[in-house]
Amino acid sequence: MTQFFLFVGVGMCALVLLCLYRATYGPTVLNRAAGISAIGTKTLIILLLMGVIYDRIDMFIDISMVYALLNFIGCVVLAKYLETTGEVSC
Amino acid sequence: MTRASDDVIIKALARLLMPFIVAYALYVVMHGHHSPGGGFQGGVILAAGFVLLVVTHGLEQTRKRMSEKLAGVISSIGVFIYGGIGALCLILGGNYLDYGKLSKILLVTPAEARSLGILGVEIGVALAVMAVMYIIFFAIFTAGESPEDDGRAE
Repeated sequence: MTQFFLFVGVGMCALVLLCLYRATYGPTVLNRAAGISAIGTKTLIILLLMGVIYDRIDMFIDISMVYALLNFIGCVVLAKYLETTGEVSC
Repeated sequence: MTRASDDVIIKALARLLMPFIVAYALYVVMHGHHSPGGGFQGGVILAAGFVLLVVTHGLEQTRKRMSEKLAGVISSIGVFIYGGIGALCLILGGNYLDYGKLSKILLVTPAEARSLGILGVEIGVALAVMAVMYIIFFAIFTAGESPEDDGRAE
């Protein structure tokens, strides 16, 4: 079963690279924002998978919850900033 | 960016999320010595709650709840708790931050005194980190405005 989670983790890392491409070369600023927030979510899953693989899920859940919280707050702040600067017409 | 917004969804979400953020920060501080986390991380999570409050409810509303002056006082109190516990150990005849010596005044075994001493130090660190993060965040958010004119800070 550990093998399976390992492969899922590697696949997630590949997906993070794809999102990183979108965040770096995204044509508009909204593409970048979506890419960054998707990377945050995938990192959360990778953290949990690492917890399962190393058999210390109780510790990694703590870290991943903080990561999710900070990701959410960062997303809200970014959206607010884009709204105020008027770079994106909503 | 720091005006009070009229977004119903984000305001309601912040109101729902805020108690859980504070409870989780306290959990991280309390369990610092046998799980990831501790004073610094708990303080950062508490400060993140304030960031959410500023973004959703505006700068003025947050300033009413906790002014920068109060944040400065709280950060000093945090450093005082840390240094005070360390100095108390020194007075009781140990080294600086030698928590085992606290058993003389806490009336518990040295092992329990060690655990309680670390908890006290972590509470101090959490308070100091939260207040300093809050001050830094305010300084960045209000960049370019003088801190005196509270009235028209946008």
